Amino acid sequence: MSEEFNTEGMLDMYLLENGQLLESLQETVLNQKDAECFDEDAINEIFRTMHTIKGSSGIMMFDNVTKIAHKLEDIFYYLRESKPDNVPHLELVSYVLDVADFISAEMDKIRDGNEPDGDPTKMIGKLDDFLKQIKHEITKDDKKELPPENVYVAPNQFYIAPVSSNESRFYQIIITFRPDTQMSNIRAYSAVYALKEIAEDMIYYPEDIVSNENSAEIILRHGFRMLLQAQASQEEIRPMIDTCADIEKIDIREVTSDGFLNSDFLKPIEIDLDSPIEEVERKAAETEQEEEPNKKAKDVAPGDYVIQSKEPGKAKQLNKNKPAKASKQSFISVNVEKMDELMDLIGELVIAEAVVLQNPDLKVPGLELQNFQKAARQLSKISADLQDVIMSMRMMPLTTTFQKMNRIVFDASRKLEKDIELEVIGENTEVDKNIIEHISDPLMHLIRNAVDHGIETPAERAAAGKRDKGKVTLLAKNEGGKVWITVQDNGAGMDRSKILKKARKNGLLGNKNPETMTDKEVYQFITYPGFSTNETVTEFSGRGVGMDVVVKNIQTIGGTLDIDSIPGEGSTMTMKIPLTLAIIDGIVMETAGSYFVVETGIVKSFVNAREDMMIHEPDGEEYIMIREECYPVIRLGEYFSLTNEKIAVEDGMMVLIELEEKTICILVDKLLGEQEIVVKPIPQYIKKVRGLSGCTQLGDGSIALILDPASLIG
Amino acid sequence: MKKLKILLAEDDFATRKFMLKFLEKYGEVDVTVDGMEAVDAFLMSLEDEEPYDLVCLDVMMPVMDGYQALMGIRNIEKQRNIAQEDMVKVIMTTALNDERNVKKAFELGCTVYSGKPLNVDKFEEVLTKLGLI
Repeated sequence: MSEEFNTEGMLDMYLLENGQLLESLQETVLNQKDAECFDEDAINEIFRTMHTIKGSSGIMMFDNVTKIAHKLEDIFYYLRESKPDNVPHLELVSYVLDVADFISAEMDKIRDGNEPDGDPTKMIGKLDDFLKQIKHEITKDDKKELPPENVYVAPNQFYIAPVSSNESRFYQIIITFRPDTQMSNIRAYSAVYALKEIAEDMIYYPEDIVSNENSAEIILRHGFRMLLQAQASQEEIRPMIDTCADIEKIDIREVTSDGFLNSDFLKPIEIDLDSPIEEVERKAAETEQEEEPNKKAKDVAPGDYVIQSKEPGKAKQLNKNKPAKASKQSFISVNVEKMDELMDLIGELVIAEAVVLQNPDLKVPGLELQNFQKAARQLSKISADLQDVIMSMRMMPLTTTFQKMNRIVFDASRKLEKDIELEVIGENTEVDKNIIEHISDPLMHLIRNAVDHGIETPAERAAAGKRDKGKVTLLAKNEGGKVWITVQDNGAGMDRSKILKKARKNGLLGNKNPETMTDKEVYQFITYPGFSTNETVTEFSGRGVGMDVVVKNIQTIGGTLDIDSIPGEGSTMTMKIPLTLAIIDGIVMETAGSYFVVETGIVKSFVNAREDMMIHEPDGEEYIMIREECYPVIRLGEYFSLTNEKIAVEDGMMVLIELEEKTICILVDKLLGEQEIVVKPIPQYIKKVRGLSGCTQLGDGSIALILDPASLIG
Repeated sequence: MKKLKILLAEDDFATRKFMLKFLEKYGEVDVTVDGMEAVDAFLMSLEDEEPYDLVCLDVMMPVMDGYQALMGIRNIEKQRNIAQEDMVKVIMTTALNDERNVKKAFELGCTVYSGKPLNVDKFEEVLTKLGLI
């Protein structure tokens, strides 16, 4: 890592570096978990990693981490030096992972500002036994001698992190005095004096308030400005300053520590009205040049922190003004918030473009629009390109998400005593960053289910005549503007009759005839809350929470879950997830004067209904028969209480939408067309409305509400 | 417990008062207010053959900062051929917790780098580790 960027706190760096080390350690270990033993590179890497963690933890005085890292380093030291045979490899793999988990857990505690207090004694005992076993292997056949002991050299330098510095708060304070205040400088100093009691650090402007009488004028004109670091709240600070009647206003604002250190808050803005413009510009350029070096992180040198003057009342000023060398970079890291903002702006641009191109003014008959259309095409092309670029910037490969699954399969298969391998295909498939964050949990759940419910125990497999190993396949691919992520196992598959039995017991069947249900419909039952066919509850699954949550999570990002299974050959779960959340293809519809949008992908068909297709239940519910199938009908206008009038079905349009094997019909007044929709969240001040997931602006400037099919159907 | 001879360099009055109170538990504390004075005091103690066991340096100080004082002290020790293990233990206390600040201090030969506000428990722990108390 380049020196230039290390402006992170010491503790942050420790956590960051060790976190990265542990991550790559896990990857190495899991890559070779099925091998006979670790190869030389892996042994060296694990040794080095543990050595580094031991060293840095020693300096930070996290003794438990130091000890356990040292013990594991010891083991790998002997492996490296003597290369013994017959090392129980799986046992070793799980020891390494246990140690990595222990250290990760301790680092989490440190990150949350707690003491790392985990007790490693038990684990060290186990490692010790293991080490003895290895040593025994080495000396057993007398051919080899034990290498010299791996001596632990205690660090001779230590770092003590400050007591949770987040208790310190940073404030910008401006005190404004009445314009006729006498000796405002002395009054300002009394505020400084009052705050000294609680201040951990304080800088103020003007600096020489006590000795320089002219400062009074500056204070009257610009206010007295202070930067304060203290462990006190605004309510505590205010009365300490607000002691004299001449104070007109006290403005206290809390800032971050960064804002505190790099602030040019203290310098009042001078507006120069007298000098010619060139003069003003030159001055501005000069100050800019002066300030530039301060902003860049540079190497520390002795003498940088000399406080230059020590007159009473003067603010501390550091001798740290050397210009830093300029450097070239071809990569920059960008704050995700800025990317989101850019995404939003491009969304606005797409809307604005639609507003211009579909402007009602253009519909005046007899207009010559040839040139306009040409320009419009050019504009559309550029905005489409712009969308593509921002999309590609937000795309991230699924690699890291998939790697986590490796560990889950390993852990679960060991604990459940099943021999399972994980095959990963298409891990480089790219998905929008927001979506990656949302699929990790559901994916983990599906994998656990596959390992726990799907794959049989070795005994059961043998009985079923299956000779191959248990295998879970994780596959990702792009298809039709969506990402398909498939979790497939070669286990027992799902038992239709078992599911049906359970569904009947839970009263889920209703008046449906189980005989006529398709397999897929039956499998959908496992996504109902509280549904689990596993008789025994294991650590990993079987408590009956799960699949419903998975489905809900996937639906929140506009995805769907397909379930398929062949008894005896295994199950396949496929998540189909949109590439991005921000822009979708939608059908725009109108009902009772309001506009609604439904995602094109879930619309099955449009039907011009006739009254004789309708079935009216006594309780007011309506159904429609289309091609021998019966579907529930939602009159959108009534659903959202827009109208009480029941329009004749002949006057409206039925939209069939299908989600998760369930189909409903939505009755709207008319269809307007299909277009790209920029999804906007419904503003905070509107209470969450059932049936809506967002809103958008149409080309003519009106607002359309985006339907949430999951809650309409459910 | 052996009484320690401690040198404290700290320019801020409040911190100085706090540190003095805290360190007085362990022995005799000499107080200086800038880096230059600290180096002078250190040199004087060597002349008198009553060397310090512990030096606590603030980083941001007038005349000479903590880094310069540390360099000065280590250079004097080198010049006088004082063995590595006999070199005085130097604890830097500062609100600067950037990694590069810490690394630089270690490079220059500081023994302990302690962030402010001071973690008193850890401070005692480290004194034990260094074999001072």
